[in-house]
Parts: sequence; structure tokens; C-alpha cells
Amino acid sequence: MWINMGPQHPMTHGLWNLRVRVEGEVIRDVEPEMGFLHRGIEKISENRHYNEVITLMDRCCYVAGMSWEQLFIQASEQALKVTPPARAEYLRVLSAELQRIASHLMWYAAFVQDLGLMTPFLYGMRDRDLVLDLFQSYTGARMTYEYMRVGGVRNDAPHGFTDQCRKVLDWLLARFVEYDQLCLGSTIFRKRCDDLGVLKAPEAVAYGVTGPMLRSAGVRRDLRKDRPYSVYDQVEFDVPVTDTADVTGRYLVRMEEMRQSVRICRQCLDWLDRNPGPVLADHLPRWLGAPYAPVGREAYLLKRNYPTGLGFSMVEEPHGEAGAYVVNDGGEHPYRVKFRSPVLINIWAAKRYLPGYRIADIPPIMGSVDVCVGECDR
Amino acid sequence: MADSPARTGSPPLETTETERPSLWVVRPLATAAKQFAKSLWRPSTIVYPFERLEDPKFRSAVGVESGRPIGVGEIWDNYRGVHALNIQTCISCNLCAFSCPDVCIEMVTVPGGDPKHPKKCPEIDYGKCSFCGFCSDACPEGCLTMTTRYELSVHKRADMVYSPQKMYEVFQSKLPMNPIRVARPENEDAIRLDPPLCIGCFACSRDCPTNCITMVDIPKATPKPGEKPAKRIWKEPVINDSDCVRCGTCISVCPKDCLFWGSRE
Amino acid sequence: MAPMTLFSVADAIAAALLGLLGRLLPAGAAHAVTAPDVVLGLATVVFAAILLAASMLNTILLIWYERKLLGRFMDRRGAMHVGFAGLLQNFADGLKLFRKDTVRPREADSLGFWASPTAYMITSLLIFGVLPISTGWNDGSLPLTLLLALVIFSFAPLFIFLGAWASNNKYSLIGGMRSAAQMIAYEVPILLAVVAVVVLSGSFDLTTIVNEQRNYWFWAPLFLALIVFVAGMLAEMERIPFDLPEAEAELVEGWNTEYGGMLFAFFMLADYLRALVGSILVVLLFLGGWTWPSYVPSALTSFPLAGIVWFMVKTYLVFGLFVWVRAALPRVRTDQLLRLGWMRMVPLALLSIVLAAVVVAARCLPVLGCIPSIGG
Repeated sequence: MWINMGPQHPMTHGLWNLRVRVEGEVIRDVEPEMGFLHRGIEKISENRHYNEVITLMDRCCYVAGMSWEQLFIQASEQALKVTPPARAEYLRVLSAELQRIASHLMWYAAFVQDLGLMTPFLYGMRDRDLVLDLFQSYTGARMTYEYMRVGGVRNDAPHGFTDQCRKVLDWLLARFVEYDQLCLGSTIFRKRCDDLGVLKAPEAVAYGVTGPMLRSAGVRRDLRKDRPYSVYDQVEFDVPVTDTADVTGRYLVRMEEMRQSVRICRQCLDWLDRNPGPVLADHLPRWLGAPYAPVGREAYLLKRNYPTGLGFSMVEEPHGEAGAYVVNDGGEHPYRVKFRSPVLINIWAAKRYLPGYRIADIPPIMGSVDVCVGECDR
Repeated sequence: MADSPARTGSPPLETTETERPSLWVVRPLATAAKQFAKSLWRPSTIVYPFERLEDPKFRSAVGVESGRPIGVGEIWDNYRGVHALNIQTCISCNLCAFSCPDVCIEMVTVPGGDPKHPKKCPEIDYGKCSFCGFCSDACPEGCLTMTTRYELSVHKRADMVYSPQKMYEVFQSKLPMNPIRVARPENEDAIRLDPPLCIGCFACSRDCPTNCITMVDIPKATPKPGEKPAKRIWKEPVINDSDCVRCGTCISVCPKDCLFWGSRE
Repeated sequence: MAPMTLFSVADAIAAALLGLLGRLLPAGAAHAVTAPDVVLGLATVVFAAILLAASMLNTILLIWYERKLLGRFMDRRGAMHVGFAGLLQNFADGLKLFRKDTVRPREADSLGFWASPTAYMITSLLIFGVLPISTGWNDGSLPLTLLLALVIFSFAPLFIFLGAWASNNKYSLIGGMRSAAQMIAYEVPILLAVVAVVVLSGSFDLTTIVNEQRNYWFWAPLFLALIVFVAGMLAEMERIPFDLPEAEAELVEGWNTEYGGMLFAFFMLADYLRALVGSILVVLLFLGGWTWPSYVPSALTSFPLAGIVWFMVKTYLVFGLFVWVRAALPRVRTDQLLRLGWMRMVPLALLSIVLAAVVVAARCLPVLGCIPSIGG
């Protein structure tokens, strides 16, 4: 019997369809169907200024907007040959790590709710709200930040922000203990999640699975360590891995990643306290500073020949490794933009990690993948 | 709690002893009961229409009491909500409309300009607006700012369109304004002229919103031997860089494409 | 004066009503309407109406109670705007559901689709007819009220499965099958746990069982049976650790996926009716019903209607326990649930029967007589 789980189904956390072939309650085959949320972000990006594309990035993955902003901005900077000042880089890393915490809290909330437990959902959302308060205090928005710019960031953190941020981080660390008590401390949770959705390292690598799913399989791969971008080589942190390759392992990895993010955030905050400075690069192409010139691309090409270039960047996004490829042909809009979504690939490996389990296991397994359909379909 | 527990080391993560389930389900039950006791008097919920996060009284009184680390009062002002427009200082430079990625800003005529050059101010369609703040970042005069107002529900779709007058009312209501002024690069480009192409048509100086372009007589080129001196007095735009807001209107109206962006040096 | 029972109250109301009617009517007709048989018949109707009103009111109050309590466990507030502290929220919700159109899928089986919520509701309400809430609740007690209550209680899987199958939806079908499997699996340990109580009290009559607990409540000697009974009741009520028939994460809404509007309200109400019954049964069987141990000062236990008040307090506390469990535990899986039921609960229930027998034997030995008593 084929069951359509989606496009509107509590398990999907978005808008996609998982077709499941079951025998009794046992899954025999699955077939993910994507494309219900396709908005053509890559094409729209070709008709926007570089900085304007970041408004799309926030909506690309709505739980990890900062990471995607960083992704695109890094690629653009490479294509446009712009170097941001150090303070901007630290602000970006701080933002990305806060975003990782927020995203993982969102994941925690949704994932445990898939197991039928409502309480952690509210705990997770409550504590994510504090991170969003922080975001709001220095970017001006809670989810769609539009914070990063080519060549830096929009504005510096306001006075008193670092202290506030430290307070929130302390609070969060105490909450993580509660989360573990609610989940790992519960026999039912362990019985549900141990040896569930197993995706061993060779298969994970073969499918191109990245992020916490890969690390839970024992592969110590983290772009922040392996291909350090921004100032990740300046901060200290560890890459958590487990070798269980199951749902519990992914839980452990994500929880530990949040703790490591707190560590990184604290180092960034200390650095920001010590080193004031500009947050936007000096030498920018004309159209990259605010405001923007109301001049068509042809006019630019006639008058000035800006350097052309290619940009490629990869970012360890909360869900996995995201990639962006930007072609700059000298105009004010990118010529071509391509994104690599980690979630799409993690979902497609479902053919390997779902069959053999039961219908009741689908929500926790897919929950442990941390699906964000916004970036998946783009 | 220390930020680096013992298990952050390089060996694979193991569930530590404290995280192992003990006594079946006693630990989660105890955690829930602890939270119950904590939130018995006051849960973390902000009872929204009655309590507001931006309300300093609420933030200082209740935020601390409930254990939530909300604090620092003035940070809220950064919020990007409904725009406020000071019609008096608006110079009709179009920069907000040009910078809008969603094309939700239209420049509409407001009373107060002279008939030849009607004064135009932005009208924002909040049905399309994504609150990215590019317009207020772009505004050279600081007359279009974003406020902390976030309640936007209306009954009719047409009410989503805020006319300049309506945004002026928002401005007059003295809401906290977004205090952030975006850093602008030091070496901004400036308008440059390609003199041989200029025909002296006055279009740029006529349309310049800040009146920073003045047409000046250019010294006549010495006629070549055997040529008659030109009858017409040639004029050329000279741009006052300190007044220029770099809106580029002159470039777009120039019929001969003789104005362009160039480095300031 | 004979002790006031609920039925005598109903009888008095009926007699008064008919007497009022008799004054308005001519003499011959008045004599006819005030005949004892007519009064008795009307008294039965009034009795049923009072029971219905009481049970429905309590159910709705129970939903409010759960929402508030669960809210505190989750660091939020629950319903709070309609009425004082949100007391009227459920009435508002009910009104909304009542106003909604009831939609039947075209391919669904009409009879089964309509009959199932009705029958589910009726059987759930029926149990209240046999549950004694206080000493004077039921007039004459049946000898087998406990068995009767449990029998009516166990009708539910039949109707759930009927409705699930009739609505012709894959999720509903899976949910219905899960529900049937689960309820049948947990009937057995529940009945075995009840047997332990019966052994200790020597009766199937709920009133007698409660009266037997005058000296000590049964939860102390029958702690194992209490655990089995509570777990089984959680499964029977389909509450959260065992709510897999309506596991909303994978089965949308389980067996009532296709039901909307008032039919959904029926299922919802019946669910909470059953939760109320479950809590009441726990109080009756293990927590001494309306009785109190003798060392409790009589001022607390002898005011008018003290029996009902304390009974309801105990019932709501027990339901609070269910809510607590719901707030802290995730859902188990079908196979784990069934394994738990057959492999753990049944042996535990059997063990508790043995314990009950030991306690009964110990009563004969004066030395051991005081061990399990809490209020002896």
C-alpha cells in the first residue's frame, strides 16, 4: 500500500511529499517528491543587485537565514574581489553561530514533537525566542535579518549587546541540561530512537549526506575545520561526532554542536569587545554601497568595466554543507547563481535510511534529518 | 555550568552517565514537574495584546521576574517596522524607490512643489514590502525611517498601501525610530562628466533633487585659425560633491550619456 | 428521614413538576399525571438528565483543567481569555464546532461513518449510570457494577474501528487497527488488575469496594495493580504515551482524520468522558472513593456533600497525574506498546493478584494485619 505523507502532513515540516510503500506497518520503499515550494530564487537572483539577493537568502531557509546570507555574501565577495574588515567577519561568525543555536533549537522543538511530546516543543521555541530577541536587537528583525552586505555587515552591534548576549548564552546552557533530561533521560525516548534510521558512514558519504547526519555516522567532517572560512580558524571549538549513525546520535551531535556554538559565540564576543573598528569595507564598487544607482546595466558596461569574476563558497550551515556559486560578469547583477542545498541531499538518502522501519518511525527519522523545505526547493 | 564539558574532547560522543535513562521515566517527569513549579506563578508567555515586549515597564518588571534574560531597553528601537516619512525634508530623490528590491515603493505627487517640478514622495505598498530596510538605509536626508510599529492588519487590501501623508502621520506619532545609520563607504564614487559629449541641455541641473548641479560657462576653445568663433555660449554642469546625494538622477536623464560614475580622485 | 440519594432528589423534582402540572389540569387528568408510575418514569428521566448534565459539565471542566495544567508544565498559560481564566473557552470551541458543516467523504460508508461517533458517545456516557460518585448517588446498587462498567468501557474499539474503516482513509484505517489492537491488548492487564481489587474486597460492586476501603485504601497493598491499572487506562483512554491510534505526527489525526465539526466534537468529548471514567475508576478502586481514613478530622469529611466534593478532588488529582505523564513522555511505538502490554503488564497484574491473596491471608493473622494499612 502506498501512502502519501504530504504535501500537507504534520510530518513534513514544510511542503513536500513522502510517498511510502508499506506492508502492514513496515516500510518497504519510499519516494520523496520535492518541488512544492519552488520559488525560483536562483533565477530571481539574476535580476537583483548583489545586496538585494540577501533578502531572498533569508527566505531561502527561514530558520537559518544568517547562514545563508553568509554563504551568498562570501561567494559574492569572492566574485567581486572585495575583502570585508575583520570586525565584520567576527560579527558574521557570531551571527552564524547564534543562528545555528536558533536553528538547532527549532529542530529540537519539531523533532521531539514528532515523537509525540509537546513540552520540549514549547521549551525549544521559548529559548529560541531569546536568540531571536538578540537578533532583533542588532539586525532589526527576528527572522529575515538582511544583515550582511557585500564587504561587511549593515551595522555594528549596539551598545550593551555583548553583555546581553552573554546572559542569554548562559541561560541557554542551563536549558540544554533540561533538554537532555527530558529526552535522553527517558527510557521511552531511548527505546524509540536508538538504532533508528541508521545510515552508516560509507552510504552517507556515497549519497553526499552532510552535516550532523554525517557526523553522527562517525565521519569527522566540518567545513568550519576542514575548509575554514571567515574567521573560523581564529576560534577554538570541537567537532562532535558519534558512531551510532542513528537518531540518538544525531540528537547528541546537534546538542553538542549547540554547546560548541556557545563557545564560539563567547570567543567572538570577547574579540568584539576588544577590537572596535569599521564594519564595512572601504573600497566597494559603486552599486554595492547604499544607496543604489538607478542606472541600467548597459550604462554601466558602457562607462566602466568592473572586474569580472567567479565566486564559490561553502558554509557549514546548521543542516549541512551549503554551497553557492556566483558568476560576476562585471554588471551590477550576478550573471548566474547556483545553490547547493544540504537538506535536499539528506532527504534523498531517505531511500537508504527509511525502509525496514515502521510507519511510526518516519516522523522521528525525518525529524532527525532536520528538514527545511525552503532551502530544499529554493 | 562550564562551557566545555568533558565530552567535547576528540573521542566520539558517548551518552554520559547523567544522560542515561534511570528509573524508566522518572527523570523527565521530574523535569516537567520542576518547570511546573517554576511557571506556576508566572509562565514565560507574554500575554501579547496586554503585555508587549517593547514596553520598557514590562521588560524591566516581568522579564527579570520570570527568569527570562530580557533587558537592555533601547535595543528594541532597531526594529524595522512601518515606515515614517517626514514630508518636509523629503527631497524627492527617488533613492528609496530605486533601492527597493520588491518594487513596492512608488513616488507619488504631494502638494507643496511648484507646478513645473511637482514634489514626489514615496508611497509604500505593505502587501509587497519585505521590511528589508534598504529604502531607509538609502535615504540621504534621513526622512524615511523605520519605526517600531508592527501591527499592520487591515480590512481591505487597498489599506495596505500607505500614502506619504499616512506615513507622515506615523512620523508625527513620535514612535521610536530605528536609530541605525548605515555605514557608507569612504570612497564613494561621484558623478563625472565626459565633456566632449555634453550638449549643455540643462536636463541634469533641472532635475537634480538637491540643486547641487550648476551650469557654468565654459571657456571657449580658442578657435582654430580660419574658423569662426562659436556663436553659442556653451554651458557645462559642475557638481558640488558635498551636496550630491548620489542618486544618479542626472545620469538617467542625460540624453547624451555624458555623465557617469567615477572615482572621486 | 431516609438518606438522600440522587434518585430521591430526582423523584422529588419529578413529583413537584407533575404536581404543578396537576393543578393546571382538570381533576381526572391531574389524577392520571400524578400516578406513581408516571412519577417514577419522569423521575428516571430527570435522574438521567442530571447525570448527563453532571458528566458533560465535568468533562468540559476536565478539558479546561487539562489545558491549564498542561500549559503550566509547558511554561505557558493555556486558555485564559474567554470567561474567568478561560473557563468558557471550551464552550466557545464547542459552539464553533457545532456551527461547522459535517462533511462526509464521498467514498465513505454512510452508516458506519455516522453511527460510529454516536455509538462511541453513547457508550461513553452509559458508564456514568453505574458509577457511584458518593454514598447516595445510586439508589439500589447492582451486584456487578464494576464488571458492567468495564464491559461498556471496552465497547469502544469496536466503534472506533467501525468509524475508521467506514471513513475510507488509509490513515484512519491504520489508526483504527492500532486502536483495536491496543485496546484489546490492554483489556487483559486491566481486568487482571481489577481481579486483585476484587480479591481484596470480595465484591464486584463498586459501592462495596469503596466501603471496604474504609480502613485502608487499596493503593498501598495493591501498588503493582495500581501501576498496571493506570498504564492500562492510559492506553484505553489513548492518552499520550500510548496515544498511537491518533499519533498526529505520522497518522495526521489517526482514526478520526475524516471527522470534522460536531462529529469530531463527539469523539473529543467521548475521549474526555472516558478519561473522566478512567480517573473515577482509579479513585474508586484504589483511592478509597469518597471515604477517608479515620484519623482525618471529621470536620473535613462531614460537611454536606463532603463525599462528592472529596471524590471530585481525588478524581481531578488523578487526572492531573495523567496530564503530568502527558507533559513529560513521548509516544511509544506499536510493537513496543503491545510487547509492554502482554509481556510486562500481564505478569505484573498476575503478581498483584498473588499479593492481594497474600494480604487477604494476612488479615487472618493478627500480627501481619497492620502492615499494609495506611489508616487502619
